[in-house]
Amino acid sequence: MDKMPVQDSTPITAEASLKHLPLIGLPNAGKSTLFNLLTGGSRKVSNYSGITVEASRGELLTNSNDSSILYELIDLPGIYNLTPTSYDEGVTVATLLELEPQYNFEKVIILLDWHRIAPSLGMALGVLKRVGNKAIIIINKDDDQEVTIEDRKKLQDILGVPVLPITALDADLQTIDHFIRTEKPYSKKDLGAESLPITPLSASYLPSSLTGHNQLKIIPGKKGEEAVANEINCNLEESHRILDGLQTKNFKRSGLSEKIDKIVLHPLLGGLIFFAIFYLIFNAIYSWAGPIMGLTEQVVLMTGDWIGSYLPQGVFKSLIVDALFSGVGGVVIFLPQIMILFFLLSLLEQSGYISRAAFISDRVMSFFGLGGKAFLPYMSGYACAIPGIMAARTIPSQKERLATIMTLPLITCSARLPVYILLIGTFVPSYTVFKIFNTQALSFFFLYFLGSFMALIIAKILRLSAFKGGPSNFLIDLPQYERPSIRAALKQSWQKGRNFLKKAGTIILALSILIWLLSTFPKVSQEKIQGLTDQQSASIQLEHSALGQLGHFIEPVIEPIGMNWKIGVGLLVSFGARELFVSAMGTLYALGEVDEESEGLRAKLIAEVDPDTGKKVFDLATAWSILFFFVFSLQCTSTLAILKKETGGWRIPLITFTYMLVLAYGSSFIVYRLLS
Amino acid sequence: MIKTLAELKAGEEAHLKDFTKNPALHFKLLSLGVLPGDLIKVLSCAPFGGPIAFKHGEATTFAMRKKEAKEIIVQINAQEERAP
Repeated sequence: MDKMPVQDSTPITAEASLKHLPLIGLPNAGKSTLFNLLTGGSRKVSNYSGITVEASRGELLTNSNDSSILYELIDLPGIYNLTPTSYDEGVTVATLLELEPQYNFEKVIILLDWHRIAPSLGMALGVLKRVGNKAIIIINKDDDQEVTIEDRKKLQDILGVPVLPITALDADLQTIDHFIRTEKPYSKKDLGAESLPITPLSASYLPSSLTGHNQLKIIPGKKGEEAVANEINCNLEESHRILDGLQTKNFKRSGLSEKIDKIVLHPLLGGLIFFAIFYLIFNAIYSWAGPIMGLTEQVVLMTGDWIGSYLPQGVFKSLIVDALFSGVGGVVIFLPQIMILFFLLSLLEQSGYISRAAFISDRVMSFFGLGGKAFLPYMSGYACAIPGIMAARTIPSQKERLATIMTLPLITCSARLPVYILLIGTFVPSYTVFKIFNTQALSFFFLYFLGSFMALIIAKILRLSAFKGGPSNFLIDLPQYERPSIRAALKQSWQKGRNFLKKAGTIILALSILIWLLSTFPKVSQEKIQGLTDQQSASIQLEHSALGQLGHFIEPVIEPIGMNWKIGVGLLVSFGARELFVSAMGTLYALGEVDEESEGLRAKLIAEVDPDTGKKVFDLATAWSILFFFVFSLQCTSTLAILKKETGGWRIPLITFTYMLVLAYGSSFIVYRLLS
Repeated sequence: MIKTLAELKAGEEAHLKDFTKNPALHFKLLSLGVLPGDLIKVLSCAPFGGPIAFKHGEATTFAMRKKEAKEIIVQINAQEERAP
């Protein structure tokens, strides 16, 4: 699961020594890269507008050296101007006008994009008119050091604020840190008192408490539109005037980007490339990670055996071997897949392809009542629903936004990965079809497709019923392609891998121990297992445990979808977190076994035989029934919590949970009947 | 010749005449540095009436839907350049 973005609304003015430095810039200007550089935090960076949807905060790395003044950076969503057209832009404008009382501003850092210097400077001029007395400017992406010393001086004289050209990908951290800490706007100019014209529609994206702010002038009707257009125009014209006076006549040529776009945005080729890229990603997760995963599994199993051989027979050994190694270890072996997924997604995001994917998918998305703007939230959903649900704030229409976040949990997130890989790898026979496609990789791709497709269908239904309305505006900036940084991708992948391990080491460990406790106690009396083989007594013990009894209690409900009580217990605990299914199965099957030899969970699942019928418990029908259940059901407490937070009540999360459960059960039922 | 932006084909160029009809679009375009009179080139049209990608100047590329492009009036082969 993804790390939750930093966000708390508690006032922190009490810490008087902590000063806040908001970071303002065009979407995709490199704010998050700079933020990561200065704070050491791993804020997600990508080459797509709208990745920063919530103000996230981080203290400067150098705070530990100089404790007299502590600075905290606030990474804000990108803006083109001060007229918000969506909720995320509203966050930035509201914060900027110092309307959010919890911040203690000292300076505002305006980040300009040298590749798009004219619009950047235009935006900056608008900001300077409001908070110029607090602003300092950093010019990012000056990769070839085109900004001369004279130009820098000239800009400082005209703007009245200090200017520093940098390149964030390869920056001198000390220089930037020093600049931020010491530089102040020059006082010779009177900056930052002008009022801001705004239309009533734009005001609706701001918190309602702010409409009375003295710097905000809400003008209705045509007059308002003219005033806003005039404001933007003036800034842009001045921006051009200033740039014309500079020595450097930059401005990045986009020849290569255009050539790539000719192919990537081609009506026919574009679609093929789109599918090829995504198939490749899923194939990579599946095929490339296979051997590494096998190796990890071996290491975990062997370590478990080795440690187990030194422990005396008894409850403690069972706890270590069955809860720790079979439970938690069973989840940990999926680390390579998680890391490969995030590595590839990071490369894709950095390259600038994601906004092209939004372009290509917009027609299909709008057929289902969403738009290309829902593509990024959906895309994030493949990692985790939580950042996806938050990214949906970039969607201007409230109804479209709700339809997006209510269907987002259907997108296959990385927590489903362990379950899919376990079951497909164990039960779907692997052979090659049409010469290049592997059946297991195809099954995998199919599950991803199924979730996404159903998300769109439900979105369409929602948009035709409860959330009726036209599509939102769609103007999407297609940033120039950039060579993705392998280092950043590795860092991202490492970060996500670490979070995954952390989750395995905390929540999953705790719950695995709980599952082990509930499936070990209460102990059956000695008479009951007298005369039975060790194997039989172990399985009787398991059936009489608390979890075993619970499993038998729910068996009537899950029997129609082809599951036995053990799987039922796995399903039940997976409502806490999906990975728990794997760890619960690991523990249950390890407990039911006597010999603790290195036999993986896969082998145990294949071998299990129903004691009554003598048939194999798991066949293809059961496996697919479980898979369908996992595709559709909302088994994640964190997602429910974020749905409540984003919609301001329990209604939407409850409806979402219920419809997904009905879908999950219904589809499992049908699939099981069809296949068995 | 006066047309709407949606009527242009891939590779064609035209000068922008009026794009004030949709305020949100208007403000965004202005902020990107796209002004009335500017030359704009169609890069690609997504199939089945999907969005259209445009290029403006040297480094600005953006896309909008057909529906929005219909609200923008352009002039083809206009001799006059952007007004000072």
